[in-house]
Amino acid sequence: MSLESKKKILVVDDDADFVESVSLFLEHNNFTVLKARDGSQGLKLARMEQPDLILMDVMMNERTEGFFTVQEMRRTPELAATPIFILSALYETQAGFRVKPQSSWLAHDEFIAKPVDMRALLEKIRARLGAGQAAGEG
Amino acid sequence: MSEAAGTVVVIDDDYAMRLSCRKILEKTGFHVETFEDGIQGLEAIARLKPPLVVVDLKMPGLSGMEVIPRVRDIDPLIVVVVITGYATIDTAVEAMQNGAYDFLPKPFSPDELRLIVKRGMERHRLALESRQAEIERELMRRRFVTFVSHQLQTPLVAIHQYLDVLKQLEDSPEVQARRQEWFDRCLKRTEELQGIIKDWLTLSQLEGELARERVRVDLHQIVGDILATYEQMARAEGLTLENRLKENTCVVRGDRNCLSVLFDNLIVNAIKYNRPGGRVTVEGRAGNGEVFVSVQDTGIGIPEKYQAMIFDEFFRVKGEGAKTTTGTGLGLPICRRIAREVGGAVTVESQENVGSTFVVRLPAFREETAEAKAAGCGL
Repeated sequence: MSLESKKKILVVDDDADFVESVSLFLEHNNFTVLKARDGSQGLKLARMEQPDLILMDVMMNERTEGFFTVQEMRRTPELAATPIFILSALYETQAGFRVKPQSSWLAHDEFIAKPVDMRALLEKIRARLGAGQAAGEG
Repeated sequence: MSEAAGTVVVIDDDYAMRLSCRKILEKTGFHVETFEDGIQGLEAIARLKPPLVVVDLKMPGLSGMEVIPRVRDIDPLIVVVVITGYATIDTAVEAMQNGAYDFLPKPFSPDELRLIVKRGMERHRLALESRQAEIERELMRRRFVTFVSHQLQTPLVAIHQYLDVLKQLEDSPEVQARRQEWFDRCLKRTEELQGIIKDWLTLSQLEGELARERVRVDLHQIVGDILATYEQMARAEGLTLENRLKENTCVVRGDRNCLSVLFDNLIVNAIKYNRPGGRVTVEGRAGNGEVFVSVQDTGIGIPEKYQAMIFDEFFRVKGEGAKTTTGTGLGLPICRRIAREVGGAVTVESQENVGSTFVVRLPAFREETAEAKAAGCGL
């Protein structure tokens, strides 16, 4: 498969270990992975590289940095429809993090609880990116 | 002083009294609003939220005594001073029971009015501060729970993710190549978890009413012992550790274990955030009944904007080297609490890429007099 046809996934997370393992898994499954360690870096990279999908942590430098970053991305026309998966270990247990999925800025997003089940994540990513993504490894 | 902060509302049916109160208080720098009856006065109080109200007890319509509880309903922190020509003990007691702060019998001198208003204003300021502190404490408490779970979850998630990928892609060459490194990272992250739990326990023990020793402790010895334990670790980084404390100069009264934890935390930080080939220097001096011990490093320093926050629980400076640092975010809060416990403090001076100096100020040990000792024994 040529480099051009690989789908790009941006991982925004302040935990370098998390980024490392998830990236390797995604790369192994034929994705190109872009890495950012906070919201502003993620936003910059997303605007520059136009990833096909974004994995976004919530609590980074600020408690709700991920949410703010998603909002910023939604205000950027070329990122308005990019699928964003919000990954958080807290959102299910903390009432404050329960955001209504029908909120307009969350229209294309999905919540995924950490720790992430990698196979399930892969399936969700493939489903979201559609048939365009050739099944890499199976 | 902003207008709202310095506003006094005066309610009195007597025109001459309103005028003289206004003159006296305006001369002192207060902004004064006067009203001739309770209803008008209360309307203004609800609107202006002044820190202090002066109210005459004997008025036609709503009396001063009836005004007091209504002011308290608007804001219990508003200080009410009552004025009356009928100054008997009974009315004074009743007014105080209704929530008045103080009582001014007619006739009174300008100085008496000024003094009582100033005192009342001070009282309001203190009440406001303690209410603010209460709100902040509650917020902190609620945030603390979120922070703790986040702090514990993060390394757990990292470990889980490594293991998950190791298991899923066991046979792939990319994973094989990284295996050893990933196992090491998992171990590091479990150490981080243990560190958080240990520090958290230390912190809650400090919060609790644990019996603590108050004995003579020579910091020269404590620092010497700590430096000795880190000698090997420092050598591996090419660091020089130096104890410049002299014997019997920096001597304090405190709990030996707590003081060890304090200096251990500062010294570990000085080693961890240093540069290869750098120095860690511990110096001290005593004077005016206090002891000052500094722990100085030649490391990465702390950006100025973060210096005020580093003593907050779970605050961590984020930098490029985030992967290698394994702080719990509780070390410095622990240091601060231990120092405060014995009436001291910890401060920091730091310059980015030059280094940081943490200074611990503690009350010096004083030999108890014979009487004090005898009194102690009598307990």
